[in-house]
This record gives sequence, C-alpha cells and structure tokens, in this order.
Amino acid sequence: MAVSPSVAAGRDIRLDLFRGLALWFIFVDHIPSNVASWLTVRNYGFSDATEIFVFISGYTAVIAYARMMQRDGWIRTTARIHRRVWQLYVAHILLFVAFTAQIVWVSEARDMPALIDEMELMGLGENPYQAILQAALLKFRPVNLDVLPLYIVLLAFFPFALPAIVRWPFAVIAVSLLLYAATCRYNWNLAGYPDHKVWYFNPMAWQVVFYVGACCAVLGAQIARLDRFRAPLCVLAALYLLFAAFIALSWQFNALGRLVPNWIGRIIYPIDKTNIDILRFLHFLAIAWLVRVSVPADSPWLNRRVLDPLRRCGEHSLLIFCIGTFLALTGQVIVDQYEGAFLSQVLVSIAGIAIMCAAAYLAAWFKGGGTRRPPLATQVAS
Amino acid sequence: MRRIAEWLAAGWLTLVLSLLPGWAGAQSMTHCRTTPELLDLGNPLAIARQSIAEQKKLRIMALGSSTTAGYGVSNPAYAYPAQLRIGLEKALPGIEIDVLNRGIGGQDVEEMAARMREEMQGNLPSLVVWQTGTNAAIRHMPLEKFERWLRGGLKLGKSLGADFVLMNLQYVPAVVAVADKEAYEKIMAAAAKEFDAGLFRRYDIMRGWYEDGMPYAQFVQLDGLHLNDFGQKCIGQLLTRAILKSLNGP
Repeated sequence: MAVSPSVAAGRDIRLDLFRGLALWFIFVDHIPSNVASWLTVRNYGFSDATEIFVFISGYTAVIAYARMMQRDGWIRTTARIHRRVWQLYVAHILLFVAFTAQIVWVSEARDMPALIDEMELMGLGENPYQAILQAALLKFRPVNLDVLPLYIVLLAFFPFALPAIVRWPFAVIAVSLLLYAATCRYNWNLAGYPDHKVWYFNPMAWQVVFYVGACCAVLGAQIARLDRFRAPLCVLAALYLLFAAFIALSWQFNALGRLVPNWIGRIIYPIDKTNIDILRFLHFLAIAWLVRVSVPADSPWLNRRVLDPLRRCGEHSLLIFCIGTFLALTGQVIVDQYEGAFLSQVLVSIAGIAIMCAAAYLAAWFKGGGTRRPPLATQVAS
Repeated sequence: MRRIAEWLAAGWLTLVLSLLPGWAGAQSMTHCRTTPELLDLGNPLAIARQSIAEQKKLRIMALGSSTTAGYGVSNPAYAYPAQLRIGLEKALPGIEIDVLNRGIGGQDVEEMAARMREEMQGNLPSLVVWQTGTNAAIRHMPLEKFERWLRGGLKLGKSLGADFVLMNLQYVPAVVAVADKEAYEKIMAAAAKEFDAGLFRRYDIMRGWYEDGMPYAQFVQLDGLHLNDFGQKCIGQLLTRAILKSLNGP
C-alpha cells in the first residue's frame, strides 16, 4: 500500500509542547471559577483546550500510523490502533472508578452526606448496577469524564479513514465537513444515560476537528502554498481573534457587554459546545494558523530546558489527562473547603500542575527502562 | 520577532496577575440574591397544599428543556430541579418530597405540550414547574403559535389536576439579543394569569443580577445560553423560596 511521501515527519516537538499545554489548561479550567483560568485560552475567545487536544490527536494519529500502514499493512495497523483504543478504554474505566471512589472517600472522611446525595443524583445511587453497565458502554459519563469517550470513538473509526486520508485528504475533509454540517442541521447525537442525556462532546460533530487535524499532517506542501497569502491571512486571523476576545471579555465585564450591538448577538449566539459551533472551530483554526506562522518547528527556543515539563506532559498525554481530571476534582474539593479563597485557587493550580509534571517524568523514567537519563524522544503515538 | 513576543507575553502576564486580586474580590462578593417581590408567584398552589396537608407528600414535576435537564453543569445535583428537592426536603421535614425531572434539551412549548399528558398521567404530580420560552425566543417561533401551544398545554395540564408554575426565559446573551424577547415574557405572564398558574419571573430575577453588576460569566456557560453551576443552583434556591412563600402565604 503506497503512502504519499508527504506525511509530516514525526519530530515536530510543537505537537508535544502544545498538547502538554492543552492538558494543563484542561486541568486548570476544570476547577470551577478558578482564577488561574485567566492564564488559559478560554477567557480570551470562543475555543478552549479541547480543540487543541482533539486537533493534535488527529494530527499525531496520522504521523504514528500512516507509516506503519505503509510498512506493515492495513490489518496490522488497524490492530495496533484498536489496541490503543483498548488502552484508552481501560484508562477511562479506571478513571471512572477512581473518580467515584474519590467522591465516596471525601464525603465519608469529611462527613458530608450531601456529596453522596449529589452522587446519587448523578445516577449512581439509584441504580448502581445499571450505572456501571452504562459506564462500561460509555453512555454514562458523569461530571468531567466526557473527553476520553470522544477520543475513543474517534480513534476507533480512524483505521477506516486512514487509507483515504493519505490518498485523498481533501475528499476526507469534504466528507468530514458534510457529516459535521448534517449533524448540526439534523441534531444527530449518540444516546447517553440517564435517558434523554446525549454526548456532551458529540463525536459526529467533533470529528471535524480530528480529521482536519489528521489531514493537515499530509497536507504540509499544500498548506505551505498558503504562505503566499501569509500577511492577509495573518491579519484576518488576528482580527477574528480580537473580535472573539472582545466578545469573550464582554461576558466578564458588563461595561464591554453593553458595547456589543444586539444584531451581533443574534448572529453569534448560542456558541454551542456540544456540536462545536463553527465560530469555535474558526477560532481554533485562526489560533493554529498564527501559531504555525509565529512558532516554526525549528525555532531554537522550543528546545529550551524550561519547556521540558510541558513536553513530558504532552508525551504521556493519556496518563497526564487522567491524572489531571482526577486532580481537578480534588482541587475543587479543596478550593470549596477554603470557600473559593484566591490563594487556595492559585496554590491548588500550581500543586496540580507540579503533580502532573512529576507523573510525566516518572512515566518517562519507566519508559526508558528505569535508566538514569531517558532520551527526550518525540513519542507521537501516545 | 521573538523579542517582541516575549515582551508581549511578559506584559500580558503582569497585567493578568495585577488584575486578578481585584477580580477575585469582585467575584466573591457576588452571591445569590433577588428582591422579595420577584419571588411572588401570584398563586396559592392549592393542590400542592392539600397534598402536603392530607398525604404528607409533595410530588413536583419539572417539565422543560436543557436547563431542566441540567445541560453542561459539572454535577447534576446543581440543576435547579435537584436543588428544589434538596431545599424543600430541608424546609419541610416529615413531608415526602419527590421531584421528577422531565427536561429534554432543545425542546420548546410545542414538544412539551405534546408530551404533557403522557408525562403527567401515571405519576400525577401536585405541582408542575414548566420551564419554557427560551428556545422559542432564540428560534423566533411566531408569537401567535407560541401563545397557542402554551395555552393549550396549560389548559390540558390544569385539567389533569395539578398546580402550575411557569418559569419564563433566562436572561443570557443569546436571549438578550432577541428583539422581541419581552413579548414571549408577556404572553407567559398573561397565560399564567388566565389559567390560574403561578409565574416564576426568572428573566427579571436574572436581569437584576446583571444590572447589579454580576458578569454573565458568573451565571452563564460560555456558550452564551445555558446556566452554569452558579446560575442553576441560585435559580433552584430562589425557586424553592418562591414555592415555600406561596405554600406558607395566605
């Protein structure tokens, strides 16, 4: 099976860096009304870390598996991808159990039956057997456990798109856009649990981010042709980001909100997250374009030692994502205990990121066979 | 280029860090509040009272769309129907409180009126909280159609033998941008009066928050439409107070 020679090389350290950054952002943003969120993208525009994470996942999936398909054939590659899907699934179930256990432990240790009460309302207490079955089917995803099921579904279908991605990337983008448009138009979604619940991140809509990311990995030459329009595209992207920042900040500062005319509001709202509103997607693409222009893959500062913790987190994204989600709940409980005190939010955010980094270094150490100095290789498959 | 980027990043970081303490202070001052007049449902909820007095129980059905279903809250317990149950259980010891959540995202008056009979029969509640109007307004449902379905639903629901409280639109960017949002509100107020239902004035309550200086981000999700954890909890607590006020009133 011939693979187009234009599959991007696997040594783009920007992928691990920005994925690490997205993981930090997801952790910080999952602690409700956390002041540290002001250091993430969320408060400055429409899109947030989820788009970064899903896009890079699509991109790296092609880098990791396109060459494997060329070398070992489609069947072996599919098997490998599904082994990865299985790892994701196991991680999700483990996270589900750890998450639930943490709620039980906290509510018993602090004698707070209200917490158990809340859990009952999540659907666990009323019918725990059913809830466990539905969790195994990925239909029951309490609280912040929505992202991994999305990734699992996306990657499970990825082998069937992979041969097309390397041959006809534009056709894949067209099909992906069509599915996205139809999903938004007809309100398709997968069923959830309890009844009438749907997937908070609708895979049929969010696939567009994943597959555009995937196709970007084979369209390097075509994207480079856009450089002829580099200046106007940069201006357009920057203007759009400024507009989005203005709108997003108007939710925080009422004085700005009064400056937004109603006709703009009528056009842009609601900015749906479940079906990734087109404004969110464009916002992410604008960021991605500006990052591509301003941070070339060969920028020397990308190799600075200070960025190593970010890279390490990006390399071990599954582990770090799970730890981050778990810690976000811990952080929420701690911040609540101090009644949302400013200092508690800052300290919890710093401590959480420190733990995530420590775990990433530990994982790298294990991966290197427990030697003293593991090489910093770009592990795109993870 | 890199120099400039570094300076920009440093400047932004300094700005954020210097603004944070003031912002955090402003956030902690915002708490769940409204004026007593806005908690007046304008209805004594006779059937609910009777059920409490004679059967020592109160069954409430929350009929609505995504707000009722608890879309996007970090914990379903924060959605207003759950808050209502928790609040009433605390306030009415010895009374069996049951809150049935019948929220389906994306629906409005048409679909909800259509499923009302099926929802209410079988486990007939003494009180139905009907949250509606927001989806109709942002989708520009013709006013005349909205009014027809709303009245049809109220008539049917009342005839099945339950008290009704209408919960009107939420005050959020997506609704505020709609030109004739107040027309939907007026239709709901008039229908409540005519069919002897209560009216929970969510729109005015939330507008009060905004005009008191509470930023949208405090009570709305970043999609500009749905209530977030704080918004849901607060609406749930205020609805609890409003219902208790009606039950304990003259």
